[in-house]
Amino acid sequence: MRTSLLETEQIEAHLLQRSAPAHALLFDAKLLLNDDLADKLNWQKATYTVIKNYGRNQLKKEIEAVHQSLFSEARHRSFSEKIRRIFSKK
Amino acid sequence: MAETDISIATPAHREKLFIALYKSAFPAVARYVNKMGGTFDEAKDIFQDALVIYYEKAAAGTIILNTNEQAYLLGISKNLWLKKFKENNRSASLDGVETADLEEEHASESKLMSFLETAGKKCMELLRSFYYDQLPLADAAKLFGFSGVRSATVQKYKCLEKVRETVKEKSLTYEDFLA
Repeated sequence: MRTSLLETEQIEAHLLQRSAPAHALLFDAKLLLNDDLADKLNWQKATYTVIKNYGRNQLKKEIEAVHQSLFSEARHRSFSEKIRRIFSKK
Repeated sequence: MAETDISIATPAHREKLFIALYKSAFPAVARYVNKMGGTFDEAKDIFQDALVIYYEKAAAGTIILNTNEQAYLLGISKNLWLKKFKENNRSASLDGVETADLEEEHASESKLMSFLETAGKKCMELLRSFYYDQLPLADAAKLFGFSGVRSATVQKYKCLEKVRETVKEKSLTYEDFLA
């Protein structure tokens, strides 16, 4: 792997707390001396949040598509009618 | 994710899983929400959020798919309903300025999301499978057609770097996002 990818891997290990203790100490020292590395670490942390939100958004779209098919396709009619009956009772 | 779990590696697998969960667990949730005076749309929203929570817990390995999912989904849905009920009461007293700030933040985030969904779709899908779906490396390699775990790992870090740069660049453009 090229150097920058190894660095990205090390940042990940640090953020996800998967570094061996000796490596973690060395990485902490590098962080203190290298502003660029600290900057990358902060943006990588933000990136994991963005990926999580992206994953969640995509999953919600998949679930909504399932909902639409369950409540519009003839093959699921007995199910959709069962649910509608629940809400038509007063 | 363990091999004994229902495979959720592909959209087609997930579609099957969600149809099965809807059919087994949604009727009980709908009856509960209806009993509490809620509507069909409220039952739908709550159930869909419960499915997301269930899926994330299954992906993280905190619960095993297929074990009494009806009771589990009903439990989460009841909690979500009660939380929603409390929040609705509280939101009446929310300060207008706070709400405006929140909306602005959402707007910046959604700009970044739509950019990533179009320009960076391929990388985002790969990263989603690693970090959100939490697929084992070997499964992700197979799903995305890599020759092996090593090349999938290299691609993962390339994508992570690329998206990190995009997040930085766009966030500085949108100013307030993730500040």
